[in-house]
Amino acid sequence: MAYSDKVLDHYNNPRNVGSLDRTSSSVGTGMVGAPECGDVMKLQIQVNDATGIIEDAKFKTFGCGSAIASSSLATEWLKGRSVDEALMIKNTDIVNELSLPPVKIHCSVLAEDAIKAAISDYRKKQGSEVATPVAQTVA
Amino acid sequence: MTCWNCGAAEPARFCVSCKALQPPVPEYFAFFELAPQLALDEKDLQQRFYGLSRKLHPDLFSRKSPAENEHALEATAVLNDAYRTLRDPIARALYVLKLEGLDVGEQSTKDVPPELLEEVFELNMALEEARMGDADALAQLPGFRVRFEAMRAETDLAVAQVSTAWDATHAKQALTDLRGHLNRRKYITNLIDKTNVPDRV
Repeated sequence: MAYSDKVLDHYNNPRNVGSLDRTSSSVGTGMVGAPECGDVMKLQIQVNDATGIIEDAKFKTFGCGSAIASSSLATEWLKGRSVDEALMIKNTDIVNELSLPPVKIHCSVLAEDAIKAAISDYRKKQGSEVATPVAQTVA
Repeated sequence: MTCWNCGAAEPARFCVSCKALQPPVPEYFAFFELAPQLALDEKDLQQRFYGLSRKLHPDLFSRKSPAENEHALEATAVLNDAYRTLRDPIARALYVLKLEGLDVGEQSTKDVPPELLEEVFELNMALEEARMGDADALAQLPGFRVRFEAMRAETDLAVAQVSTAWDATHAKQALTDLRGHLNRRKYITNLIDKTNVPDRV
């Protein structure tokens, strides 16, 4: 199967590979996988708590070229968006941008799920902080 | 269902009335006249396969009508696919999951437990480090392989256990567990494939 030029570009020069501090309350981590293909994808976002803007995004994917390209593209798109805007990224946007063939559409679904999982993790962390306030010394 | 040839009601593999071969039943267990089961007797399956191969060989139908000839070809194709699928415990388990509406290929990411993903991710990280490393790192690859193969053997054992459990109870939970074990097995098999020492120019 021939990969599109854009897939090859992301595969050969993946953007934003790496990881962020998982324990930070400003970082959301999404870990998703497709056992049938043996793919596993980790996607992380770093959010500015004051503005709600995603300031950094990192990923690491073990899988086929399309899965790597989908998650690489996702991190590019995430940076600079607000969390709400990020939720609007649809797998079909990734399919169109990378010209993925029908047999590789599930790779884009995986990337969309990873974004959602990362945001949900971030929101959970933020929410739980409100629920269990840390004792603070009032100046 | 009626016989395509003489119209008799409820024909078996061969019509009870006119003896004409009927179109094959597409479901593999039914084709072998077995109930869906995970831990089946593979020896018995082999006997059934040989018996049906003799009865359904297209050469036996070469002098019959074109329609019956066609059914013999179809039946032989189903016979071979069914035997190939059902004689292997893993292929059989995947087939039963599909029959029961738990197709491994149609899982959503929510069906895959995070612990499994974490484990597979960490193993992939360690393996990648070894593959990208120097000669010392590469020398670890056979050790990874031994470890992964032991993990796969454990998974096979778990598959066998839950297979027996489902045959006895037909409990939905057993199938969900089975799918979990097969997911893990697939990931481990993938990892094993990556333990070959990479070619370097």
